[in-house]
Amino acid sequence: MSPEAARLGLRVGQKATDAAALVPELATADAEPEADAAALTELVHWCVRFSPAVAADPPDGLFLDISGVAHLWGGEAELMADLRVRLLANGLLFRLTIADTPGAAWALAHHGRDGTIAPPNGQAALLKPLPPAALRLDPDAAAQIERLGLRRLEQLMDIPRAPLGRRFGAATLMRLDQALGRMPEALAFRRPPTPYVARLAFFEPISAPEDMARVTEDVVAKLCARLEAEGRGARRFEIAFHRVDGKAPSLAVGLSLAGREARRIARLFQPKLETVDPGFGVESVTIAAYAVEAVSGRQGRIAGGDAAAAEEGLAALVDRLANRLGPTRVWRAVPVESHVPERSVRAEPPLGGSKEEARTWNPEAPRPVRLFRRPEPLEQVMALTPDDPPRQFRWRGRTHQVRRAEGPERIGEEWWRRGIEEVSVVHVRDYYRVEDQDGARFWVFRAGLYGDPAAPPKWWLHGLFG
Amino acid sequence: MTRYAELQAASNFSFLQGASHPHELVTGAAALGLEAIGICDRNSLAGAVRAWRQMRDLEDQGVIVRALTGCRLDFADGTPSLLVYPSDREAYGRLTRLLTLGQRRAEKGGCELRWRDYLDHAEGQLVLVVPPERLDAGFEADLARIARELPDVWLAAARRYGPRDLDRLSRLAALAQASGAPLTAVNDVLYHGPERRPLQDVLTCIREGCTIHEAGLRLAANAERHLKSPAEMARLFARFPGAVERGAEIAGRIDFDLGQLRYEYPDEPVPPGKTAIQHLRDLTWAGAEWRYPNGVPEKVRGLVAHELDLIEKLDFPNYFLTVHDIVHWAREQKILCQGRGSAANSCVCFCLGITAVDPTKPDQDLLFSRFISEKRGEPPDIDVDFEHERREEVMQYVYRRYGRERAAIVATVIHYRPRMAIRQVGKALGLTEDITAALAGTVWGSYGDGVPDEHIRQCGLDPTAPEIRRATALAQELLGFPRHLSQHVGGYVLTKRRLDETVPIGNAAMAERTFIEWDKDDIDALGLMKVDVLALGMLSALRKSFALLPPIAGRRVVDIADLPQEDPEVYEMLCHADSVGVFQVESRAQMSMLPRLKPRKFYDLVIEVAIVRPGPIQGDMVHPYLKRRDGIEPVTYPKPGPDFPQDEMKSILGKTLGVPLFQEQAMRVAIVGAEFSDDDADGLRRSMATFRNLGTVGEYGVKFVEGMVRRGYDRDFAERCFKQIEGFGSYGFPESHAISFALLVYASAWVKKHHPDAFCVGLLNSQPMGFYQPAQLVRDAREHGVEVRPPDVMFSDWDCTLEEKDDPRERLRPVRLGLRQIKGLKQADGEALVKAREMGARSVEDFARRGRLSRRSLELLAEADAFRSLGLSRREALWAVKGLAGEWDAERNAPLLLRQNLKETQVPLPFMTASQGVAEDYRTTSLSLKAHPMDFFREDLARMGAVPCAALKTARDRRRLSVGGLVLVRQRPGTAKGVVFLTLEDETGIANLVVWRDAFEANRRLVMGASFLVVHGQVQKEGEVIHVVAERFTDLSHRLSELREDEAPVAAHNRVTGRLIRSRDFH
Repeated sequence: MSPEAARLGLRVGQKATDAAALVPELATADAEPEADAAALTELVHWCVRFSPAVAADPPDGLFLDISGVAHLWGGEAELMADLRVRLLANGLLFRLTIADTPGAAWALAHHGRDGTIAPPNGQAALLKPLPPAALRLDPDAAAQIERLGLRRLEQLMDIPRAPLGRRFGAATLMRLDQALGRMPEALAFRRPPTPYVARLAFFEPISAPEDMARVTEDVVAKLCARLEAEGRGARRFEIAFHRVDGKAPSLAVGLSLAGREARRIARLFQPKLETVDPGFGVESVTIAAYAVEAVSGRQGRIAGGDAAAAEEGLAALVDRLANRLGPTRVWRAVPVESHVPERSVRAEPPLGGSKEEARTWNPEAPRPVRLFRRPEPLEQVMALTPDDPPRQFRWRGRTHQVRRAEGPERIGEEWWRRGIEEVSVVHVRDYYRVEDQDGARFWVFRAGLYGDPAAPPKWWLHGLFG
Repeated sequence: MTRYAELQAASNFSFLQGASHPHELVTGAAALGLEAIGICDRNSLAGAVRAWRQMRDLEDQGVIVRALTGCRLDFADGTPSLLVYPSDREAYGRLTRLLTLGQRRAEKGGCELRWRDYLDHAEGQLVLVVPPERLDAGFEADLARIARELPDVWLAAARRYGPRDLDRLSRLAALAQASGAPLTAVNDVLYHGPERRPLQDVLTCIREGCTIHEAGLRLAANAERHLKSPAEMARLFARFPGAVERGAEIAGRIDFDLGQLRYEYPDEPVPPGKTAIQHLRDLTWAGAEWRYPNGVPEKVRGLVAHELDLIEKLDFPNYFLTVHDIVHWAREQKILCQGRGSAANSCVCFCLGITAVDPTKPDQDLLFSRFISEKRGEPPDIDVDFEHERREEVMQYVYRRYGRERAAIVATVIHYRPRMAIRQVGKALGLTEDITAALAGTVWGSYGDGVPDEHIRQCGLDPTAPEIRRATALAQELLGFPRHLSQHVGGYVLTKRRLDETVPIGNAAMAERTFIEWDKDDIDALGLMKVDVLALGMLSALRKSFALLPPIAGRRVVDIADLPQEDPEVYEMLCHADSVGVFQVESRAQMSMLPRLKPRKFYDLVIEVAIVRPGPIQGDMVHPYLKRRDGIEPVTYPKPGPDFPQDEMKSILGKTLGVPLFQEQAMRVAIVGAEFSDDDADGLRRSMATFRNLGTVGEYGVKFVEGMVRRGYDRDFAERCFKQIEGFGSYGFPESHAISFALLVYASAWVKKHHPDAFCVGLLNSQPMGFYQPAQLVRDAREHGVEVRPPDVMFSDWDCTLEEKDDPRERLRPVRLGLRQIKGLKQADGEALVKAREMGARSVEDFARRGRLSRRSLELLAEADAFRSLGLSRREALWAVKGLAGEWDAERNAPLLLRQNLKETQVPLPFMTASQGVAEDYRTTSLSLKAHPMDFFREDLARMGAVPCAALKTARDRRRLSVGGLVLVRQRPGTAKGVVFLTLEDETGIANLVVWRDAFEANRRLVMGASFLVVHGQVQKEGEVIHVVAERFTDLSHRLSELREDEAPVAAHNRVTGRLIRSRDFH
């Protein structure tokens, strides 16, 4: 809660609509706990600049162990000031406190004054006026402790421990001790992600194309060996060629399935190597893998031609096509649940479609193999009203006599896409499958119904069969 | 012209499938010139009577269309669905038995049928087979088998404008040919007109639990499943000659009509060798002797004889015997009860003990004959109220007496109300929860019509945004749709023959409960026998109070009739609006009416009960009546033209001083003054009583007003009369009910006047009921001199009790609050505690050990300060209970440690401040006997210029002032056009606030949300009635948390405090 928001009368836990009634121009967005958690993790990593020992305190806090590092800033106050400036620069809202123990720092941050720095061994005095909830207790227990009249931690500190522990459990005593430093607390410090990188350096700079190809294979193999050891694969690889002049041209390839097959990946780099200018020579190459994910086992090696293996085989082809033609040029048509033909199909990545939602085309509803992106107008259409198939029509300058026809299949508008006042029962399309004198088959439709002279229906061709 | 009957139509009683009401389908079919329409809901006949009623109504208007009674059977064993039409009464009985069988087998709302079940009930049914989506070999075999095993089978075929219609129809035609089940054209109708498609799509989304954007192919591709004309059907089926006409041919073979379900009353209660009427006569005369021990007055003799003759003539003795039987049984069980309704206010019912209203009282000239004879064919109507806590026993008795084959509860159709409609439509349209909740929140209560734009704007949304418009428009359409069937609170239908041969019976959500598919309007329309066994909290409260009363004239009070009648002190009390807790007249509106109406006799109470109702208020009848009563305006009776009897209005309106106040009077005015036929009057009453036929109300209005004007009445009078009738429509309040209610008003007021201690206990022990919460009831009792003592482990029972007087000269006994006042405490634990006390428990440990109370219960008791008499303060008690935990857990788990006594150091706990104590009292028991929360703010309030509520009594009219207090009640009656009534309470009394529309709209959130307010406004006095018209508000809700503070401050960042009280909001 920013001070600006608080000044407007907003508060945490308020209903969005109440808030909007209070501040009509308020912009709202849904809560995203996963994104918040990810952001917190990122902040934890970022904090490493202040101390290597950082621990997240979900959902919205973190602990920094600054033992022995504060002097680098000239003292705790200076460290806190620097952290404050940097966090402010990032537009974050925060409360900072420093104390001997995580528990005390937490209590002061949540229930004390922002910016408090407890002097060494001085936290007890600062904790005294805080409520029991400052001990990170279960809210019900904290409320009950308050109901006993024990509303400040100093009262809790004065009470004989045995009766207190008997009533509110060892956890309460432990939290009190942790805050006061009578008992250690182990924090779960972050473990930095090992970046998936590999490097090869050469005694002599290289520049010959075959050398470039070889070192590419080697460095890919080196990284892939690690991926395999960890049971992982990656969807994207980037190689940088570090030249003697300090420049580092790079290449990237993407995979449609996470992989770690060194030869295949190296082959994807191959055609692009010629675009790399080695200048006066390359003295080292680095490779990095991105979008690393767990990949189980070594697919394709198990006996039997199962679907996964088939896809693995297809993946190599798709990757070569996509890396050559561009990633958007290779796609797969996927059915979408909609009655409106142009909405009933969507382009998706060629591989890796989720297996669980196995959508299929409706076999009862014949659809043309080729559906025009935009329907084309028909002229000189002759049809019996109200809804017989056309007898003849003219398309792209040629007249077609209809010999056989089936229809109409009536498809109404998706009324929820327009204003409710504009919805009308005449907003329909009547589709017909027709065959002309030459045996050519068309999918035509009439938009609208006959009967309203002000808005006569129009005829269109939407696709071709076979 | 082609003949066509639509035989496959689903109404909205195929829940979340059909998108039209049954009456819309019937009307639509008539408009298109269909011969007949068969509404076939899925495994249900719930909509059948509504369709039939519409057919009858249309018939009255000269429009002829047959509404066929049938049903679509969906099977659990894969058998194709069948449309089944019983050809005669016996076949109909078989169909309802079949549905009963299926429904009893399934969970509530479901129906589980198999082919073998059907075969057992197949005789006399005409059957259409519904082909599935995919015509596979399985269906082919099924169809062949069905056609082989059943005599009258047709194959239903619809043209849906799907991808391969003709292909499919040709295959169906071939299958029909091969199986010998002739092809019959239907349109598989889901709505009467194509414009209902969006709503039907929304219903699909609600059913599937998805949004419209995700629904995809679950939605229909087009809007073709509407009723189509015979000519259009002929065109669509041109290739299949005969298919279209076949429906009409099938309809021609149906010789069943719901009108054939004749009512036959159960004849159980008659002893052998007697006729029903003989038995009734004997019982009635015996009852007369009992009611009039000093000799039956001549007037009563005459009335009883007359009524009995009439009952015999109309063949109703069994009805009266049945009601008598139930009431008699309840009386034996000492369950207080009271009948009401048109037939209840008869001498016969008084003698039979069904009511306690003495028909010889003045002004009580309700002519019983009029009510029975007017409603031709309809059975008399008696509702019986029982103590709400013991009604279940009565219901079980009815089941025992008549058996489940012949007695069942009628259904209540749960309709979509505005909030639910907007919520579900919003969800289906993919609006976020926030927005739908906000939209729903703008609807006040259940009778709002739609969502006004300014409300939408006020909750921060744009009413012109397309998605909002879409949601509100579709929600509007969904209003009044049936959502599901639920059991009626207590309406029983009783039959002579097997009930399941008249109507399907299904399971209720409650175990061992069954209810039929029809609601009480359906039952009324068909003339079946219905008895309402209703629950009334006041009867429970009265019985509990009666039990505490000293004998009156040597006789213990067990019945309302045992109380002294026409006690002037009781009326005096009511004239001063001293009516908290009194039945019906305790609401704020009634309280402000009492001093104006000044009831002095029983019939005044009848008027008092009926006058504060939407009908008289909307009809603008209240003020004229009051003026006439006060003699400000002369009592005149509108007169018709000179050709008509001049005193016809006087005879109808005489006892209400020329102002129509009761439903019966309005109907009489229609019949006499506007020359309505009995049928018209009945139609008018029915057309207003339900959601349907909103249009026809207007037609009746024209007829009514013009009819009266034609006879020479003033147009203004006629229009006001009709306005009132409209008001009655949804909240009809007839005189016959008002009389019975008035008796309860008198009885409860009598107890309150003479025994406020017993009254308080009776009410508290019957909670929840009535208008006020325990805090107000206790406060009222204390103001009437009753000492009220807090709940305490050493003195309290589960229920509240009367304790012995400390000083025998005292008039009243002290009230001890029961453990039931402690929030969250379970009754079983409370009773265990009492038992432990009786066994000698005298300490926290004792209660824990002997009472085997849960830790939670002991904590609740401690937090509610119930260990006070053991010398433990609330905190000490909680400390002790918490400390006990280990000990008695150990006892439960390892008895060997039982006697291990832990000695521990004394821990001094801080004292609780007075305000903390009060706050804790409210938190744990919703009331405090120690102080009022406002006591602690009085200085602050005084500084803000607020006067105590009690000061309003002496404040001058029109003075501007401020009052502050806790918000007790918020009300926004539908009749008050946007006005909100707030009730504030402080330590001195209550203040009634009126918030006019403008002030409300400007402070909407505050008025709706605040729990502690200071209001600045103007005093308005009218006699003893005092209001403050609110102009400005100051919200002090946040300050209530100060009650919980003690002297030493606590760092208060992030503190959250709960509400002290929860106001009662009536919308």
